[in-house]
Amino acid sequence: MKVKIDKTLAASIALHVLVLGWGLVSFSTKALEVEPEDSVPVDVVSADQLAHVMAGVKSGKKENPKPLVEKVAEAKPVEDAVGKITDKAPVVTDTAPPPQPKPVEKPVEKMPDPPKPVAEAKPKEEPKPVEKKPDPPVDPIAEALKKEEKKPKPPIQAATPPPQLQKPKERTFDQSKIAALLDKRDPARQATTGDTLNSNAALGLSKGKAADNSATWGSLFKQQVDRCWKKPYGGVDAKDFFMEVQVKLRRDGSLEVAPIPLTEPRSSYQRVFLESALRATIECAPYRLPAAFFEEWKDFIPQFSTEERG
Amino acid sequence: MLTKHETIHEPFLIGRRQVLSGLALSGFILGGAHRVFAQARVPVTGDVAALPIAIPNFIAGTPSDGEVSIGVTQVITNNLKRSGLFAPIDQAAYIEKVVNIDTAPQFQSWKAIGAQALVTGRMTRLSNGRLKAELRLWDVATGQQLTGQQYDTSPEYWRRIAHIISDQIYERLTGEKGYFDSRVVFVDETGAKERRVKRLALMDQDGANVRYLTRGSDLVLTPRFSPSTQEITYMEFGQGDPRVYLLNIETGQREIVGNFPGMTFSPRFSPDGQRVIMSLQQGSNSNLFVMDLRSKSTTRLTDTPAIDTSPSYAPDGARICFESDRGGKPQIYVMPATGGPAQRISFGEGSYSTPVWSPRGDYIAFTKQGSGQFSIGIMKPDGSGERILTSGFHNEGPTFAPNGRVLMFFRDPGGNGGPSLFTVDISGRNELRVPTPGFASDPAWSPLLS
Repeated sequence: MKVKIDKTLAASIALHVLVLGWGLVSFSTKALEVEPEDSVPVDVVSADQLAHVMAGVKSGKKENPKPLVEKVAEAKPVEDAVGKITDKAPVVTDTAPPPQPKPVEKPVEKMPDPPKPVAEAKPKEEPKPVEKKPDPPVDPIAEALKKEEKKPKPPIQAATPPPQLQKPKERTFDQSKIAALLDKRDPARQATTGDTLNSNAALGLSKGKAADNSATWGSLFKQQVDRCWKKPYGGVDAKDFFMEVQVKLRRDGSLEVAPIPLTEPRSSYQRVFLESALRATIECAPYRLPAAFFEEWKDFIPQFSTEERG
Repeated sequence: MLTKHETIHEPFLIGRRQVLSGLALSGFILGGAHRVFAQARVPVTGDVAALPIAIPNFIAGTPSDGEVSIGVTQVITNNLKRSGLFAPIDQAAYIEKVVNIDTAPQFQSWKAIGAQALVTGRMTRLSNGRLKAELRLWDVATGQQLTGQQYDTSPEYWRRIAHIISDQIYERLTGEKGYFDSRVVFVDETGAKERRVKRLALMDQDGANVRYLTRGSDLVLTPRFSPSTQEITYMEFGQGDPRVYLLNIETGQREIVGNFPGMTFSPRFSPDGQRVIMSLQQGSNSNLFVMDLRSKSTTRLTDTPAIDTSPSYAPDGARICFESDRGGKPQIYVMPATGGPAQRISFGEGSYSTPVWSPRGDYIAFTKQGSGQFSIGIMKPDGSGERILTSGFHNEGPTFAPNGRVLMFFRDPGGNGGPSLFTVDISGRNELRVPTPGFASDPAWSPLLS
């Protein structure tokens, strides 16, 4: 019996099959690649405990509606913050600092230092004032602040500072006055996030990842085969490459057949490298891998790479 | 109507079988092929590790061969261990005793002690007085024999047999040529520091079989092997000017290379062994010359008002590298072996000297001096990829193993001591002292003897 089929229909079917087939093949190759993953240290939790953790509260809301807040600020009316600042007398800075002839003289005196050993009479010319003066860079703002500081001080520290102590006053840092540096304005900001503490009694989160917080079976395999793999040294110039081996495992993790090399070695080093991979795969069997993923690891392809462990 | 229709659209006739096979094919594409490509790929990285290898004592073919069997086993074990790429397992851990190398070993008992490779062998004295060595190398995991060899030789060369077997194992398990069956010529130093006696000496690469080639009455420096390994060229301070000599190791015959009116030094053979390249001092300068050993004709290669010295050929003989201070400080330059424009390749801090081209051609090793230290390093022939392998008070004079993977150099710790020889992998790993009878300097590694 012959079936009559229209030419265009046949061509259409053929093209569809080709396109679909190509799509399946080319898009499915990368679908299941296991990314190299670092294993995560995991606490062993019993099924009961896990259930407890994951259970949540039935009466809870579906998701946390608000971001977490530890403490809620009291809602305060915004006060006139500007007024508080203006309590202080505005700082008046003298743009033109008082004329200081001394700093100019000092460098001149210091220059002729070398001859000092010859004429030792010079040190007599008041060494003290010389010591005091070494502050030639005059900061107008610092000067202004100093002036301001000096003014209120006399009433407070009138008794305590004898004239000797005034020498180092320029750079002293009085710890007891740290408080003075603080911003004494009342908090002017409103609580912008939430007005109630979260009870965190939600019925689990939709993106909860607690359940798979463990190494994937791929990295479990990697860890196990690594113990047996004596990667041969390829010299300082070895180009990076990897060798693929097909591994078929039984449910108990033992090898169903000997590992099958999939990459053709192109140099004596690559041959030795491939042999070391096969050797390691055989030697480390049986593998302990999670039974839940058996369908994935019963037939897979380890890629043994020259790259050093990161 | 029908016939007319048929003439307009030619129908496409397909048999039932064709329809079925077409469906089957599309079924394969949709189902089977998908499965093939669905296998997960798991990247496995790991660190380079020494291969655990079991080397039980070779079996004695006759009762009188026991000593040599153990000796061969020890030399092989020592060679592989020193390479840094193998981890020989202590014999005390062995479960199985190999009694016959003609049957396959019990791989389970070797697997149990962690061995991945197993060497079995037998030494037998033949009726003609020669010594026969048999070797089998096994892959413990797969149970396959990786190599099987048989050699025979005069009994006094049993160490060489052990070195050749070591090279076999090394090559089969690393994919690289070995270097154990080779020798080293060096300057042996004895006596107090101010009255040091320096003699040329020859030994196996593992420090065994030391032989002295000169008596020590004259000062000798920079010995170098010819590619044939039968001759050595070196510099000697005799009665007059220091001269470059050629010495036949077997006959002890000596001759002066070239007839120059001045001091000649730092000689080295061309890769074909037909020429010797060296420096000739003229006034305060020195330039490079090459002499053809057959015709005795000499050719000047450089003509600069600087000190050009320490020339070394590339393995293909087309280029040379050398040291020159034409740029101010000593640096390494590369130029065509026939002379011509030289290109500076070293640009780091400090000064560079004693360049030597690897037998593989991939690197140039050098001594680098800077910030109070002497270092041994390597760089590519274009000057890139500089890598310092070891640094210290005084390290100098690198020489490559025949496979270009290991360097030997000498180190002087300073003080009242003297220099000794060291090897280091060109990755900078596995630095080891080479045993010598006294102090030793200026090593030069021979090519493979076989």
